[in-house]
Amino acid sequence: MGTTRRQFMKQTGSLALGAAGMGALGTRAVFGAGGGGTPGKPTVVVLYLRGGSDPLSALIPYGDRTYYNLRPTIGVPGPNGENRRSGVIALNDYFGFHPSMMGLARLYKKGLMAPIVNAGSTHPTRSHFDAQDFMERAAPGVKSVTEGWLNRYLYMTKTGDDSVLRAVSFQPVLPRSLRGQYPALAVPEKDAQASASVFAGLYGCDDAKATVKLQAEPGSKKVAVGGQEDKVTGRERIIQAGAQGIARLGRLNEVLGAKKYKPATKYPKTRLGGQFRDIAKLIKADAGLEVAAIDYNGWDHHAMQGASYGVFGEMMGNVSNTIEAFVEDLGPKIDQTVVLTMSEFGRTARENGNSGSDHGHGGYMLAVGGPINGGRFYGKWTGLSSRSLYEGRDMPVHTDFRDVFAEILAGLYGFQADDHQFFPEYDANDKPMGLIKV
Amino acid sequence: MRFKAVRYKRSIRSCGGVLAVLVGLCGLSISWAGETSGTLTDEQCARHVLDRLGFGAGPGEVDRVVEMGWEAWVRGQLDAGAINNDKTNKYVLEHFPSLGMTMDQVWSAYNPPYESGQPTVEQIARRNRLRYDLNRELVGSVIYRAVYSERRFEEVMAEFWRNHFNIDQGKDEVQYLAAHHEQTVIRRYMFGNFSDMLLASARHPAMLIYLDNDVSQKPLSDREQRMLVRFENKKYQPRSVAALGRQRGLNENYARELMELHTLGVGSENRKGGYTQRDVTELARLLTGWTAGRTGDSMTGGEGYGFRFRKGVHDVKPKVVLGMRFNGREGEAGGVRFIRALAKHDQTARFISLKLCRYLVNDDPPGELVDEVARVFEETGGDLTAVYEAILFSDAFMDGGNYRAKFRTPFEFVVASLRATGAEVTGFGGTREALRRMGQPVYGCVDPTGYDDTAEAWLDPGVLVYRWDFALRLARGDVAGAKIPDSFWRGLPKNDPAELKRALAEALLAGGVESEGWDEMDKAMGEKLKPRRAVGLVLGSPMFQEQ
Repeated sequence: MGTTRRQFMKQTGSLALGAAGMGALGTRAVFGAGGGGTPGKPTVVVLYLRGGSDPLSALIPYGDRTYYNLRPTIGVPGPNGENRRSGVIALNDYFGFHPSMMGLARLYKKGLMAPIVNAGSTHPTRSHFDAQDFMERAAPGVKSVTEGWLNRYLYMTKTGDDSVLRAVSFQPVLPRSLRGQYPALAVPEKDAQASASVFAGLYGCDDAKATVKLQAEPGSKKVAVGGQEDKVTGRERIIQAGAQGIARLGRLNEVLGAKKYKPATKYPKTRLGGQFRDIAKLIKADAGLEVAAIDYNGWDHHAMQGASYGVFGEMMGNVSNTIEAFVEDLGPKIDQTVVLTMSEFGRTARENGNSGSDHGHGGYMLAVGGPINGGRFYGKWTGLSSRSLYEGRDMPVHTDFRDVFAEILAGLYGFQADDHQFFPEYDANDKPMGLIKV
Repeated sequence: MRFKAVRYKRSIRSCGGVLAVLVGLCGLSISWAGETSGTLTDEQCARHVLDRLGFGAGPGEVDRVVEMGWEAWVRGQLDAGAINNDKTNKYVLEHFPSLGMTMDQVWSAYNPPYESGQPTVEQIARRNRLRYDLNRELVGSVIYRAVYSERRFEEVMAEFWRNHFNIDQGKDEVQYLAAHHEQTVIRRYMFGNFSDMLLASARHPAMLIYLDNDVSQKPLSDREQRMLVRFENKKYQPRSVAALGRQRGLNENYARELMELHTLGVGSENRKGGYTQRDVTELARLLTGWTAGRTGDSMTGGEGYGFRFRKGVHDVKPKVVLGMRFNGREGEAGGVRFIRALAKHDQTARFISLKLCRYLVNDDPPGELVDEVARVFEETGGDLTAVYEAILFSDAFMDGGNYRAKFRTPFEFVVASLRATGAEVTGFGGTREALRRMGQPVYGCVDPTGYDDTAEAWLDPGVLVYRWDFALRLARGDVAGAKIPDSFWRGLPKNDPAELKRALAEALLAGGVESEGWDEMDKAMGEKLKPRRAVGLVLGSPMFQEQ
């Protein structure tokens, strides 16, 4: 693409937005009509693979001999091996997907899916702990930023009539990317909500005005239990979280509790499958869902990660099958939905002593959805020779993950991350990748 | 020096008095102090120590602590060994026999070898059942002891160290070893020396397996490495080079977490005096050969299952870790020397002190306190009882601003609910399931960081709904294995809702009807309250989420 970032923004018709970093941003409803209800904003679903998912097992450079030399026991055979089912799914004569990624490969071929290679953090840490924080807060190395990037986006663009289900996570506690002042809902299962109404009074919900006030000014009283503020604030924070929960759960119940709902397709019978099924239901109901986030734990494969078959393949198959089902289930709504999959870092290019891999640097991302310019790879590939590896051992980072976040926010919502100093210490990418369709 | 300081503090410390003024004169910041100001009443002091150092007050306990004085109670708890705990121990060994076993005994009792090569469906089912039993025993023992042990502070610290040295029973064989890790690493040393606990953990099969050190082996030599690189792009690889690629090698997992999570802290990476990736790799090499297993055959008198140093896979080349040199001939002793030094590193002292202050005092503990505690840690060479003492008898611990300033974790909430109502816990299915739904399954934290204990990590819109659900069900008698005893209900006023609420406030909430926010609660609870509903409401109230 020859356009600069500014031109790109102009094309999406959203440059003229408030310099104060707030402002109700125009909904971008160019991606097809919302089926049934009011056409809402697009939805972004962030899937976080916790533990450092191995890029070379997902996006496999099978055309490079070095790959097999680096990975004698966990290298996935090429597409023309003895057993075709266990070989990579070739996308061209160099790259292929892991054999478990059949569903994603189909989406890729339909132009609905795009992998981003050598993406990651500019910070060198190989600690899960730091790398996750830095990525989910989109602030590598800046520990003073403690709110998640999705939450910051929600907070900066909030309006008086936000849907109470604008941000949801179907798990016991929020992923760090959704933590912060904006009240996102964390709810693992649907069946405990009856108790919520019993507590409405205790959590200030009977007084309609109080509830509205809390929603209009989320986090207006700064910080928190046990923080620098006094304990009264801590109590208020608890009451506020309770009230926000009650309001959101009530609405969630209305939407998800609808009788005789059947998804348009079968999801894998996994926790992940259930989470995506519920998200799809919210989207289809036009409930105002804008951001959903999911944690998928257990990608820290230091040992026995498997090649064609094994732990990695099983987990990746779960991701692939679930996302494919989600896309099918959404029908036309996929034109307004993006699923962005990521992990805190990649892993060593060479396998370790235990048919696994250790913490590395550059990772990968997968973008799926109607708005995605799919069917092609993004990012810069520089091969596997030890000279091109980061510190001679890890995949390098050529695409700052914030470039991807920025493009998603700009392309879907017209939200300009660079104008808002949204990402601290970030130099905006002058040449957008063109990940989102213009 | 230290003892003098403690005595000085005790002399100015009192639950009423001029503490705030004195603190001000001493030039210490009291900016974290809250509205309750610097002084607490005797009853508040008693509540505070029972909440923070005992998972909440049980029936009648506040009065008992007020009578003996909170300081005496804390001193008693710090000398945990002197508290008779026969009843708890007896129950634990009777109901959770695996807690009293050696690892060999656990293996043979819960993972018996199949008699013939191809196991039958029944044999497999039996093994699965045994594995489930083992899991149930471990979780049950943790909950049981937290609720009932007389050594209250010991349980609070066990929870801390369990998270500090987190192991996930879902990984490989860890489930067969986790109870032994808790007994022989955490409980054995948590009032002793940090260095001993660290070394015991480093040598425990559960940790070695959880963080993959048991499979880490000496890496390729530089020459072998060069050969691999030389042929990495070649179509033809000599057979000897291809074999190198298959050779076992390093696994850095444990080496990294040992420094990042167990000692120096993540803030230490790439900082002055801290560690780098090079240190991680060098340490991984130093710890090659630290594995778990048997020597010989246990049937014919070999040693039992446990820590094994395997010389054959130990890297004998010289190494430098954090500036310490190892000549490669020291074998196992090199690793021991390093771990001992790591335990005494000043950044370790600071990191452990910060975590302890955050757990026991405030999510954002005053810097002066952490400095002081770290100093005690360093001066005593990591004497944990002295470190706890420095925290518990500091000015900050009993400062009004820290009173009820922590948001209970799900575990703290569940245990406090059971304690407050004097619940009879005979089974653990209900509590265990509740904790899973609240996002804190016991021994189920996959991430080696363990569970966080700050409000920031737990207080999201929506999370309270499972607490409310638990509170109402416990009151209704609908939590499997946990029952509020008849005596509790008999003690409540029946006909007067106002009296009922007052009684419950006194029994379950700090400060009773005097506590902040009670008036609003009182109104919100309405007039026509039934006792069970009222108990559920109080346990699910905002106040009960604080400690």
